[in-house]
Amino acid sequence: MITIAIPTGLLSEGSLELFSRAGVVQISREELGRRLLLERDGVRLVLVRPGDVAAYVDHGAADLGVVGKDSLWESAGQHYELLDLGFGGCSLVLAAPEAAPLDGPDTWPASMRVATKYPMATAAYMSRVGQTVEIVRLQGSVELAPLVGLTDAIADLTATGRTLRENHLRILTEMGYSTARLVANQASLKTRTAQIQDLVLRLRDAVAPSAPIAGRTADGA
Amino acid sequence: MPDGVPGLRDLLPDEAEALRAIQEATLAEMGRWGYRGVVTPMLESLDALALGLGDEHRRRLFKLTDRDGGLLAVVGERTIPVARMVATRMRSAALPLRLSYAGPVLINDGGRFARSREMHQTGAELIGASGPVADAEVIAMAVRCLAASGLQRYQVDVGHAEFFQGLLEGLDVSDEIRLGIRAALARRDFVQLAEILDRTPLQSAERELLLRFPALRGGPEILDVASGLVRNQRSARALEQLAAVHQLLGAHGLAGRVSLDLGAIRDFDYYTGIIFEGYGPDLGRPLAQGGRYDRLLARFGRPAHATGFVLHLDLIAEARRRAGDDPGAVRLDAAVAWGQRGLESAVALGAGLRRRALRTVVATEPRSYERSLAWAEEVGAANLLHLVEEDRVRWRLPGGEERRLDVDRAIEEVSAG
Repeated sequence: MITIAIPTGLLSEGSLELFSRAGVVQISREELGRRLLLERDGVRLVLVRPGDVAAYVDHGAADLGVVGKDSLWESAGQHYELLDLGFGGCSLVLAAPEAAPLDGPDTWPASMRVATKYPMATAAYMSRVGQTVEIVRLQGSVELAPLVGLTDAIADLTATGRTLRENHLRILTEMGYSTARLVANQASLKTRTAQIQDLVLRLRDAVAPSAPIAGRTADGA
Repeated sequence: MPDGVPGLRDLLPDEAEALRAIQEATLAEMGRWGYRGVVTPMLESLDALALGLGDEHRRRLFKLTDRDGGLLAVVGERTIPVARMVATRMRSAALPLRLSYAGPVLINDGGRFARSREMHQTGAELIGASGPVADAEVIAMAVRCLAASGLQRYQVDVGHAEFFQGLLEGLDVSDEIRLGIRAALARRDFVQLAEILDRTPLQSAERELLLRFPALRGGPEILDVASGLVRNQRSARALEQLAAVHQLLGAHGLAGRVSLDLGAIRDFDYYTGIIFEGYGPDLGRPLAQGGRYDRLLARFGRPAHATGFVLHLDLIAEARRRAGDDPGAVRLDAAVAWGQRGLESAVALGAGLRRRALRTVVATEPRSYERSLAWAEEVGAANLLHLVEEDRVRWRLPGGEERRLDVDRAIEEVSAG
């Protein structure tokens, strides 16, 4: 029995669709949503919060997991990152109020205050480009921070940029690009090599050929 | 009320006894292989530990300032202290040396979800011996230690640090790409690895070999498959050594317990040869880790080959718990109770039973026979011995049967039971 952790929210649909296409297991989102834990065709699926997938996998409670790269930026674990599953693409962008006199890095303040839910990825990017940064870690509604003067800018994930536009924020730069990834527990790879490998190959073949094998730009962390 | 420190915890009797039993069983196994115990200090100078640790591990040590301002660190593992000791205090001792150790280590990093920062370990080091015989000895001993610790199901994977180093060296790519490949593999990030390889003109065989890295494991047949694919001497030599070690493990009677794992990813800067890891069922982390580290001793001024391993006792205990190994309700062999009279006979009876190696508790207050029955159950005793009066014992056996006899006979018969 192979246990796979799937995140609730945006990535669950894509995960189940991919598993179905790869012939791994056929389960509808409604079915899994009702049960949280479901066994079928020798596979056990557990539905957990996106930020918890890596914990399930690292601790060995799940052999495999589907997780957004953005979750992995914030806490490096002991798992193997095996495949870019191609779906769930979104950018980590640095954005500031439309009226702010900020443009390229030359125009950024000597020390920039940035609100974000992604402090590690933000710090890693800023360190790469040599920008001093003061990070304000927020749990949600990050868009508000520059509007009320808490910070100069925000670093947040966006797929379409709509929320940013609605809040009159302008993208300064893309700091990273995240897609869904397949991660594996280190011990499971050793103790269930054949089963895991079979699953990984089927998923790899099922990932849309048009999808890039790896992320578009360098990872944020 | 003052509370404990996060990530550090108390072990209550059941857990503490289970852990200590595993510690003693593994140290005893090492003793059977001629490994003698050493004790190294809890604190070392940071400079000494830094000789063997990369930046990341150095950051994660608990540090303190000494009276003279020098930096000290709490040991995060004990291979480096043992190497320091062998190179300094034991510099005139003839090699090879076979040493074992036990004790807690601290890492100042809870990792994900504040995992325990204190870990209990036992370990063994074989210093001054190189070649497959020494490698196989240490691996075989690690397997026997896992068995001695009471695990029913476990496996050990053997790989070679040089196999990957050779592959990397043999690639026709820039140093920058080479560093990128190494970093991606060290992070076990195969998505990043694929992305880097896409930017290189590498042939499909080399590319496939790197991308299939975590799956390169199995029996001796994978050595043949791999030697067909590698074209550099360093990797080829690693494969030959693996074959020799695997053969010797067969002679140790352990061929069935050991798999070969060419994709083993470990600290690339530290390990120089054969490496191995032990896994239990359904536990996401290795229970045992070891390998050859031929460069460490030289950094302490006494160049010497070395190999060894560490056992993670907390994880082994957890694996046993998950496997349903219940410590059981019996925690004592005998409970000795006394009534209106009989205190001194009870004390003498307790002393006699303990001399026969029975775990025995003598009550601290008088009890009727009926109340003693409940007490004996509460303390988890297999036998209850109640002193009816001086020198008259009422003995309740584990099955519920009752007998009456005098103190000397009671000592004889209970310990014979």
